[in-house]
Amino acid sequence: MRENLKLIENRELHETLYHYQFHPGLDLYVLPRTGYQKKYAVFSTRFGSIDNRFRVEPHPEVTELPDGVAHFLEHKLFEDERGNVFDRFAALGASANAFTSFTQTSYLFSCTASFEQNFDLLLNFVQEPYFTDKTVQKEQGIIGQEIKMYEDHPHWRVFFNLLAGLYQMHPVRNDIAGTIESINKISPELLYRCYHTFYHPSNMAVFVVGNLDPEEVGRQVEKNLLGRDYSPMGQIVRQFPDEPFEINQQKTVQELVVSEPIMFIGLKDNIVAKLESRQKMRREILMELVLDILFGSSEKLYNELYRDNLIDENFGAEYTNEINYGYAMIGGETRDPDQLYSRIMEAIENVKKEGITKEQFERHRRKILGGYIRRFNSLEFIANNYLAYRFRDNEMFELPSVLQDITIEEAMAVAEENFDPAYHVISLIVPSPEE
Amino acid sequence: MITNYIEHHLPNGIRLFFMPTDKFKTISIALFIHQELNSKLAAMSALLPAVLEQGSRQYPDKLILQRKLENLYGADLTADIIKSGERHIMTFGCETAHDKYLGEGKALVKEGLSVLGSVSGDPLLENGSFKKEYVEQEKKQLIKDIKAMLNDKATYAYERCIALMCSEERFGTYKLGSIEDYNNINEESLYQYYNHVFSANPIDLYVIGDLKEKEVLDATGEAFSLSRLKEQNRLPLTDTKKTVQEVRYYEEALPVNQAKIVLGLRTYTAYGDDLYCPLLLYSGILGGFPHSKLFMKVREEAGLAYYVHSRLEKHKGLMIIAAGINYEDYDNAREIIERQLEDMAAGNISDEELDNTRQGLINRLRSQQDSPIQLIISHLDGSIGGKTYTAAELIKGIETVGKQEIQEAAERVKLDTVYVLRPQEGGSIK
Repeated sequence: MRENLKLIENRELHETLYHYQFHPGLDLYVLPRTGYQKKYAVFSTRFGSIDNRFRVEPHPEVTELPDGVAHFLEHKLFEDERGNVFDRFAALGASANAFTSFTQTSYLFSCTASFEQNFDLLLNFVQEPYFTDKTVQKEQGIIGQEIKMYEDHPHWRVFFNLLAGLYQMHPVRNDIAGTIESINKISPELLYRCYHTFYHPSNMAVFVVGNLDPEEVGRQVEKNLLGRDYSPMGQIVRQFPDEPFEINQQKTVQELVVSEPIMFIGLKDNIVAKLESRQKMRREILMELVLDILFGSSEKLYNELYRDNLIDENFGAEYTNEINYGYAMIGGETRDPDQLYSRIMEAIENVKKEGITKEQFERHRRKILGGYIRRFNSLEFIANNYLAYRFRDNEMFELPSVLQDITIEEAMAVAEENFDPAYHVISLIVPSPEE
Repeated sequence: MITNYIEHHLPNGIRLFFMPTDKFKTISIALFIHQELNSKLAAMSALLPAVLEQGSRQYPDKLILQRKLENLYGADLTADIIKSGERHIMTFGCETAHDKYLGEGKALVKEGLSVLGSVSGDPLLENGSFKKEYVEQEKKQLIKDIKAMLNDKATYAYERCIALMCSEERFGTYKLGSIEDYNNINEESLYQYYNHVFSANPIDLYVIGDLKEKEVLDATGEAFSLSRLKEQNRLPLTDTKKTVQEVRYYEEALPVNQAKIVLGLRTYTAYGDDLYCPLLLYSGILGGFPHSKLFMKVREEAGLAYYVHSRLEKHKGLMIIAAGINYEDYDNAREIIERQLEDMAAGNISDEELDNTRQGLINRLRSQQDSPIQLIISHLDGSIGGKTYTAAELIKGIETVGKQEIQEAAERVKLDTVYVLRPQEGGSIK
């Protein structure tokens, strides 16, 4: 086992991470954390809602999926011929859950006793699919209610409307759970086909954190995989439509039961698809810093908007980038979307003229560094986010050192190049007239 | 391994709870000013932390204050109001990264305590009262927050059910008070209220982190030196006795897609009660987990809901059952839910359900030990409920409860109020 072990050290955070790799390509990461009672494990696959067109080398045939399959599969993996997997975790005193994002599906549990048995259960149920017509049909009802719940959720709607405005072709424009119509097209056969592609160990990774011995965890995974007789799989080729630089729709307005309008501005990042992974991570840090300088609570704009009663404490800005898309979103609840819109766009123009000061740059850098350290209290945060970075070929533990490395000139360049008003959209939720 | 608090009284009567531990990467500080929940005071209690957070004498506006916090490596300062039982607690928090991860000889705990002490104890004054501009601005924000309750439909349905069910009790007061109450508050009346509450009401201060007892004592003494009365206000305990005459049913229609059903029940078992641990098991078996009866029957078997659960309001002794369903399934869903309640009262609990729930509750309690904020809140429960349990005591209680005691707790439970939020189209069913 030694030959496939790598240590990842982080001096700033006082952490040592153990990385193992097993045949046929499963990555295991173990982070020992003494003093904690909780042990947390997550088993993730690079299969998210955007992976809806793919083929597997060397086969030429392409599979195309209705929206919502990755999420549907996540629900269904919790059931097998013996019933409900939640029950088995419960019998071992663990709390289990799962989530599906645009780019990955993750299964997880946390426990304070019987770690080995719970960990085996996690490894087993994720590797043992069981889909029938009957169970698929029942799930259509449950997920139908999940979709309806989100349809009534203004912050969820404003987000997806924003993405649908930004993107013409890219599947990130579609809801992760799909629609009532699209999930009715899902069959057991389709789930099996996706399962056998995306749930191959070479497309997956495990992260475990807690008061644990890495060697023991490594042996347990090795043993679990031994009996399963996996053969290597060809590379998964994900196909994405060509996304033009231009946005899809400049303004989206939806009526919902809300107390006042909710407005977000979305900025499409057209550069990100061309960058290699390390550059993407650097860009993410730079964008976080620049957005905080522009819109953060320690700066003039935020305080003026707050004083003018145009925003509340939840106003904010964030930036996301993934394999082939990226965007920034800025906004919140507001009594006057038009005025808020022009004040934000003005600020974006101003920063290009006025630049940012050395004092701002250093102060916001300190803030972000402290934030990283604080978040490392949470085992869930570490595990979930580590794998998300891994799946983008990045090393999350490098965040503090990259943050120390960036320069004010780079930040300025990002501010100047990246807020191109030609590629921005408005997503607006307004109160229903009935209210 | 469960660490305990070291307790001190500062010279002015503030209680200090300090937990030395090196397991976190942070220093966590929290200040709680206790007040009774009551409809006349609620708006003032909610407004006070919001106004104080705008600026203090030393950091007179948000810009200066936030910049100070950023230079403390993004220390996170919060000001909020908590409703727990019939207590209304003004709260201030400050979390910073621990100095040892920053590679310099910082004194972040001292600085963090000093900022928190300044914001809560040394406010910005103008002509002998709070700054008018801040008071008016925060009144507007809070009125907006009250209206925004509508935005999250599950929260809205929950709050509506509580307000209707407890309309004759102090607990029926919304934690931000009512919009009308804000009209009668000005900078003078709020400042008077501040002086009264901060000098006469119980105040608890928590500090958790890898720190020396002496450095914490010195720094807290310096940061929280406001003068306070010798004789402290005694706050009433939460009333948990109100009887149910008949089940009340309320329905409200809004242009939404999903119906929300909320059932409000009275358990007549409060936090300090002997049957508290049996009640935890009762609610857990019924609807606290994915293995619970409600989840299994309503979601997994009938496929009617995505979410369905029961939750306790532990100090008021309420249990709230909530689910999101198709409105046409209302009768079916309610029948299944009520059947589970009957099963619980009849003692129909399998060994497996009992054991799984026991372990699930213990897992939750142990996990709380890994989060500074949960360590603080679970200890604060003792001040609110008038009885302090250590985690070990609760775990022992949960381990030893039998079916008979659970059934005893179950027999006390009475359905009081049913609230349904339904889509606008379609007729009423009752």
